[in-house]
Amino acid sequence: MNRIRTLCGIVTFVTLCATALAQDPRAIIKEAQDRANSTSQRYEGTLKVIDGTNKVTEKRWNFERIGSHGNSKSILRFSAPAEVKGVALLVVNHPDRSSDQWMWTPAIGRERRIALQDRSQRFFGTDFSFEDLEERDTDQFDFRLLAEEPLEGEVCWKIESKPRQGKVSQYTHSHVWVRKDNYVVVQIENFKKDELIRRAKYTNIQRVQNIWTAQNIEMFDSGRKSRTILTIDKLQYNLPMKDENFTIQAMRREP
Amino acid sequence: MPILVLLVLLAQNFTQRGFVETQGIAYPQEAINDDTHVIGEVRIRYEGFYKPSGRFQIAGALDLRGDTHEQTERVLRLDWDDRGRQRPMLSLQRLSAQYYRGGLAVEAGKQLVRWGRTDIVNPTDRFAPQDSLTVVDNDFLAIYAVRATYERGSDTIDVVWSPRLTPSRIPLLYQRWFIPPEGAPSFALERDIPDGSQSGIRWSHVGSVEFAAAFYSGFNNLPSFQITPGSPVVRETYPELRMFGGDIGVPLRLVSIKGEAAYFDSPDHTSDNYVLYVIQLERQAGEWFFVGGYGGEAITERGTQAADFNPVRGLTRTILARAGYTIDTNRSVAFETAVRENFDGLWAKAEYSQAFGQHWRLTTGFTLIRGKATDFLGQYNRNSHAVLAVKYSF
Repeated sequence: MNRIRTLCGIVTFVTLCATALAQDPRAIIKEAQDRANSTSQRYEGTLKVIDGTNKVTEKRWNFERIGSHGNSKSILRFSAPAEVKGVALLVVNHPDRSSDQWMWTPAIGRERRIALQDRSQRFFGTDFSFEDLEERDTDQFDFRLLAEEPLEGEVCWKIESKPRQGKVSQYTHSHVWVRKDNYVVVQIENFKKDELIRRAKYTNIQRVQNIWTAQNIEMFDSGRKSRTILTIDKLQYNLPMKDENFTIQAMRREP
Repeated sequence: MPILVLLVLLAQNFTQRGFVETQGIAYPQEAINDDTHVIGEVRIRYEGFYKPSGRFQIAGALDLRGDTHEQTERVLRLDWDDRGRQRPMLSLQRLSAQYYRGGLAVEAGKQLVRWGRTDIVNPTDRFAPQDSLTVVDNDFLAIYAVRATYERGSDTIDVVWSPRLTPSRIPLLYQRWFIPPEGAPSFALERDIPDGSQSGIRWSHVGSVEFAAAFYSGFNNLPSFQITPGSPVVRETYPELRMFGGDIGVPLRLVSIKGEAAYFDSPDHTSDNYVLYVIQLERQAGEWFFVGGYGGEAITERGTQAADFNPVRGLTRTILARAGYTIDTNRSVAFETAVRENFDGLWAKAEYSQAFGQHWRLTTGFTLIRGKATDFLGQYNRNSHAVLAVKYSF
């Protein structure tokens, strides 16, 4: 009888802990980031920019990242269209502050720092802003669980994130949907006060090297009524990469 | 079969790009020394990059050019130097080998070397001669150099050595961008390009504030002119030059401030000693970007030269502004202006650009130049022009 009571006690304790953890929005976001964590990442991205009149423009970039979430460095280099081939963006993420970003334009042989106040700008005609290309470290945000609700058939946690004081952001708050079954972020809505600025939808989620990853990211710009669909190809995680290839000098190397 | 395998292996490490650009330039007014109203130009650029290993890369670029106004030579030969008065028909724009290991990168060969931070005028950009045949629309010329860059943490040291001077290309005599001095008899220009190397070092730091300090020793890539009384020959010389300079970028909450300044010292006293400085503010707002600034000059000692050609100094004591608006993914407009502080010269340019599909871009614009004949900008007051360019990139 005592054994049964003890077992029941343990089960109850574990269940309560799990429930408490699950209800802690910071822990949910942290768990989602941890599950997606890798030492490095590489993919080829195809971007379809669909403007308000349904005119489609296609761009392609190659993306490489080294380091853990929130403390990583990445280089994104355009391979198409031809006139922007070689244009590159270096993003150095910091756990305690906004990222540093530099852009390299081969035609003029100069790199340019992307100032914090300019991060709300669209990145090279896409619907992603420069800020959307940086990683969000949990320590720079406050979180609040808003609801548990289904999104496209999957039960999700809907969590509000607000940038902490000192974190420079164009958005006053965001709503993040995290799937309960696998902790994958499936949608982020970014707001300025009550106005929706951008919505990112993560679809075609597949398991790649044991990491659940969205193969399509659709960014909708509510002001312009345009959207950009990023399709990820040849995705690889945990490749051997060198820190020396994620510097301003490395960004200048072509192509 | 082995050749096929070799080709496949080469293809894996080889990338290329380039463009074909044609443009028409229309000048509504005749110039004193040039009655041509319309000029056509074509340019084909091909660039290739071969990376046989993770630490080594070879880069090459060729230009094939032509025009209707003899700004380009009419002789088809490969010009390795690009030091002539006219643009070469076929020229090597880049041929360099790069090796990198850790924070060290070394590039040797023909390459473009750019220094400085500001956007409109760069006093410290000493290794970048320009093609100024059309004074207000200029391109940079590559130089032969060995460049070693060492980056550690937030600091980078950049050392450049160039075995010889590549002079900037200045307007051709008897064409509209050369303004003959009033009442001057006809003369010939005799060029005297010095032997000797150029070297420089730049230390830059990135952080919440970015800054750099630079030193250059060599020659001015822009000419001074020596006149011998009674002689029909004017000597075009490239004086020795030392430059001590620096630049800074400070991102603030509302705007970014960028500044660049340099002191120019002429060891042989043929040209002026002077300070050039530029301060500019920039900001993006919505689909707009704005850059506004002021370029200034302070002469500390006069040189012995009779005259010089220096568009960089010509754009000082000037208020400079640039604005651009992105209409949509494929279309943009840009405006640029320079106004002398005494209003003796004005240069203003408006441009519209539109991309078609993945490869084509059309650009059209108009440049207005007004002012007094005594002013650097104002002297080109008969050279306002319209441009229509079509570019195919691959």
